[in-house]
Amino acid sequence: MPYNRQLLALLADGGFHSGAALAHTLGVSRSAVWKAVHALSAHGVEVYAVPGRGYRLPAPLELLHGDTILAQLSPRARRMLDGLEVHDELDSTSQHLLRNAAAWPGVHACLAERQTAGRGRRGRAWLSPLGHNIYLSVLWRFEQSPASLGGLSLAAGVAVAQVLRALGVQGLGLKWPNDVVWQGRKLAGILLDLNGEASGPCSVVTGVGLNVMMPQTQGALIDQPWTDLNTILGAPVLRNRCAGRLLERLIVTFDEYARNGLAPFLEPWRAFDTLTGKTVRLQWPQGSATGRVQGVREDGALRLSVNGVMRYYNYGEVSVREAS
Amino acid sequence: MDIRKVKKLIEILEESGLAEIEIREGEESVRISRHVRPGAATPAAVTGMETPAAAAVVPAAAPAEAAPSGHPVTAPMVGTFYRSPAPGSPAFVEVGKRVEVGETLCVIEAMKIMNQIQTDKAGVVKSILVENGQPVEFGQPLIIIE
Repeated sequence: MPYNRQLLALLADGGFHSGAALAHTLGVSRSAVWKAVHALSAHGVEVYAVPGRGYRLPAPLELLHGDTILAQLSPRARRMLDGLEVHDELDSTSQHLLRNAAAWPGVHACLAERQTAGRGRRGRAWLSPLGHNIYLSVLWRFEQSPASLGGLSLAAGVAVAQVLRALGVQGLGLKWPNDVVWQGRKLAGILLDLNGEASGPCSVVTGVGLNVMMPQTQGALIDQPWTDLNTILGAPVLRNRCAGRLLERLIVTFDEYARNGLAPFLEPWRAFDTLTGKTVRLQWPQGSATGRVQGVREDGALRLSVNGVMRYYNYGEVSVREAS
Repeated sequence: MDIRKVKKLIEILEESGLAEIEIREGEESVRISRHVRPGAATPAAVTGMETPAAAAVVPAAAPAEAAPSGHPVTAPMVGTFYRSPAPGSPAFVEVGKRVEVGETLCVIEAMKIMNQIQTDKAGVVKSILVENGQPVEFGQPLIIIE
């Protein structure tokens, strides 16, 4: 079900708008306004309806705007980016870039106000309600082989964590390889899709989902501890500014990685590392390993001390064991 | 044992026409044999999925199989091998399926990077050598196209 972007833009100021005024501006009937308001609610935008006063959002909402985001970029990043798209709705920003990668030889980025099929790893959903969070994907070309691009996952995590720290978030951490967590709660997720030759070149789509303001009704559907930026900072975050900074940092990061690999990102990654010294269980579909985390290797692999033997893993999912 | 050595042994086996090769190196040994099943019409009938135990390779830590003739698609990175885009969804390919150049055969995941492995050769999927969800080594043959 599509939503009425014009209606959302009218309500975005957070003030009251009467049904009659909205109907007049949109050129539709009042009952059509009422239906459109319900459609917004269905997409995760809470709308208050107060008899005699009209409709309003609980708080002002900043819609994404391409030019505002581009204005955040340094001249260097601006030169490297061939295109930025801002969509009202996509199945998934990463999927959109993957579909069109063949037609775009350069670097492309896209954002969406809403994803209908936002995804995490292995078919998991990334909850993507309308207008509140950031769903950003960047397509980048690397000359390297897939084997040498593994560390990109960690570098992207560092990029997102650095941006959020600069926005004022204290106590941020990374959970190997790149979950952005705050007090054990997930704040942002990053998933990379790679296509390419065994000896390079490769195209990589990096998707970032950042919880800026997750509506409680939507958050209740998330199956792991989560948090959002507005809760942490106690004030609304300007989404365009945040998206612009993320894009800037990812572009600079990918450019650096293309030239120098993971090496420049290892120290910053270690500074955000939340797992070292903890006993964790690493799980993959056909097995698992339990051991104490000893940081990461130069290629980004997890160093796990298992019964006194150091082992290196670049696959598997980490869960921290309680009371270790 | 180095997976590249195992690959080399497979090549030697294929070129030589031998039925079996066994190599010892210190305490490690590896034995690679062609799929010869009494009564089996064609070796292609045997796949890694159906008979993982038939991978006559010792030790188990060297997950390789005697590759039948054909074009092996190998792992470009260490990671977890997946036959489908998501759990519960149909596999990209099954044995016997005709594939064109560029078609996705499987996914290898490493550190939240999903690497879609596409075939660089058109043909028919002759065998799938790795079980869904298994870790694979760099250069390990995954799927044979003929």
